Amino acid sequence: MVDVSTGLIALASGLAIGLSAIAAAIAEKEIGVAAVGAMAEKEELFGKGLVLTVIPETIVIFGLVVAILILNLAKGG
Amino acid sequence: MLKPHEMSSVIITGPNSELEAVIKELHDMEVLHIVEHSKNELADIGKPLDSAGRLSEILVKVRALTAALNIRREENKFELKKGLLEIESNVRKIGNGLGALNDELKKTEELISKNEAVRQELEILKGLNIPLENFTSYKSLACFTGYINEKNFQHMNGELSKTTKNFMLFKSGEKRKFIALFIDSKNREDAGSILNKNGFSQMNFSNIGGFKGAAMSNLKRTGEENARLQKKRTEIKNSVEKLANGHKAFLAAADKFLSIQLEKAEAPLQFASTPSSFLIKGWIPSGQLNSSIERLNKAAKNRIFVHFEPAKTHDNAPVKLKNPKYAKSFEFFIDLYSMPTYKEIDPTFFIFLTFPIFFGIMLGDVGYGVASLLFFWLLKRKMKAKSFFNILMLASFVSMLFGILYGEFFGYEFIHPVISREHEMFTLMYIALAIGVVHVNIGLIIGFINELKSHGLMTAIYEKLSWIILEVGVGLLALSYMGKMPISPLIGAVFLGLSILMLFKGEGVKGLMELPSIFTNILSYARLMAIGLSSVVLAVIINDSAKEFFHQGGVFVLIGILILVVGHIINIMLGLLGSFLHSLRLHYVEFFSKFFHGGAKKYQPFGFKED
Repeated sequence: MVDVSTGLIALASGLAIGLSAIAAAIAEKEIGVAAVGAMAEKEELFGKGLVLTVIPETIVIFGLVVAILILNLAKGG
Repeated sequence: MLKPHEMSSVIITGPNSELEAVIKELHDMEVLHIVEHSKNELADIGKPLDSAGRLSEILVKVRALTAALNIRREENKFELKKGLLEIESNVRKIGNGLGALNDELKKTEELISKNEAVRQELEILKGLNIPLENFTSYKSLACFTGYINEKNFQHMNGELSKTTKNFMLFKSGEKRKFIALFIDSKNREDAGSILNKNGFSQMNFSNIGGFKGAAMSNLKRTGEENARLQKKRTEIKNSVEKLANGHKAFLAAADKFLSIQLEKAEAPLQFASTPSSFLIKGWIPSGQLNSSIERLNKAAKNRIFVHFEPAKTHDNAPVKLKNPKYAKSFEFFIDLYSMPTYKEIDPTFFIFLTFPIFFGIMLGDVGYGVASLLFFWLLKRKMKAKSFFNILMLASFVSMLFGILYGEFFGYEFIHPVISREHEMFTLMYIALAIGVVHVNIGLIIGFINELKSHGLMTAIYEKLSWIILEVGVGLLALSYMGKMPISPLIGAVFLGLSILMLFKGEGVKGLMELPSIFTNILSYARLMAIGLSSVVLAVIINDSAKEFFHQGGVFVLIGILILVVGHIINIMLGLLGSFLHSLRLHYVEFFSKFFHGGAKKYQPFGFKED
């Protein structure tokens, strides 16, 4: 068994990525809806729509970086 | 490279008598990007050539036939020998043939549906065993046909018997009975109300008038007739298909020929014209200017005048990108986004340099690189978008190189890595951020040059150099606080303050609000590490779970192989999509926002068709 403090660190790291992923998903949902709507009107917008849709993925990447930083606490501490 | 082809604005004027010759020559040369004339007090737009009406009429017919015969557009070799006349007569012939077939088909289908209605009625009547000619209208008899529940049937029978003796009742079916009641017409109304009370639902037989004999024999005859009609329908459909196959090459060729002729005939709609002369405005690449003018003059027997001058900075000339052959494919990304304006720097070459590298850093696996290289090579031979697959093949190749650097082969460490993605993620993150700093600053420098050319030195300094000074200031501050550099924090603070002042002067309050954006932009390059990390971790998980099965031996080896194949295919797909989109995004969002304006028109010469 790992001790409680390590477990808490793992939990925190999981929260960091999980919550940021939810945030990114919500943002992407909105953009995706609009992009599909625009594509229905004008099919050439597929490229732009695709790129715009992945823009909020930065949020998850920040989340991942933070999660890794937190995990590193476990090694150091 | 970096700059588009030089353009010259051209004005061609001449008498209307030469208009057709000029249009033909322009269409053949494929050099003039026409600027559409809009009606003003000086000149109206031109009228289409006389042939336009007839051409579009035939074109509509050809397209209608193509649609009616359900022909798909494909490459067909067909020689049109006599041009328009041949097309016209052929179209009429095909149209008549198709029309006759369609009429017959419609007639047959009507007969089939009528037969079907008859069949349904006969099916109901076949249980009653009454000759069909009995279901006609009588003077002294009333006839009711319809359904009634078994429960109510006896009740109704009783009630009817009380009313009159003059009736005949036929029935068939089990629970829900079908009945036919023939009753003295004097008792018609009584019978109607009795039936209604007992939940009778009436059915009328309108399609079997004139039928004679037993329902069964009629049913058989109808069935035979239906089979014959169905066969006829298939035959007609087959001959329509035969017609389509026989003429699809001709129709495709005719469509192409007519479209080109019509484009020429309708070209004057874009020109300015007076009752006796025409004026065409447009752009020609400066390199082709002299030869084009020569050819035009020859075609119009020197009766036209051509005025030309090179494009100036603020002209909105159409843009024809100019890049070396190896970077040409990457113009695809510019097309997808927006054309740079005429005097702006064309970033295609920078994308050529960095896009495959970013892609490679993220995908970075020898096995994945080889697999996707093969995949895209196969797709390129099948599909049309050659430049798109060229980009992806180059990117896959670079992924292989990074795969060697990371020592990965389908997630398995096959040589000692120079840098391990799985274990040295922090080192890799710093490298990613360093790449970010370099990339963003290249963007700022390009922005500086763009501003210098369009708005002068001071604007360039305030709007672009200020960001670089801001970065230096923050960098110095951080270094001195961390004690990495023996300088006073004051120096950093001075740089920072200076840059903020410049930004405020250059871009106003908006600039101040945007201050943190440059750092989020740089941090965003952490994705170079993050996407790769997720890809490699997935690959390792797939390998490990397959290994478990291999250790158990027997049938489990097969399951292990299945996991490896399916898992890696999914991971390659995810990896390709992620690497492509994120690499593209780093260019569109982080890089382009530093310098790109765009919005210019793409150079589309009259008569040029993209294949």
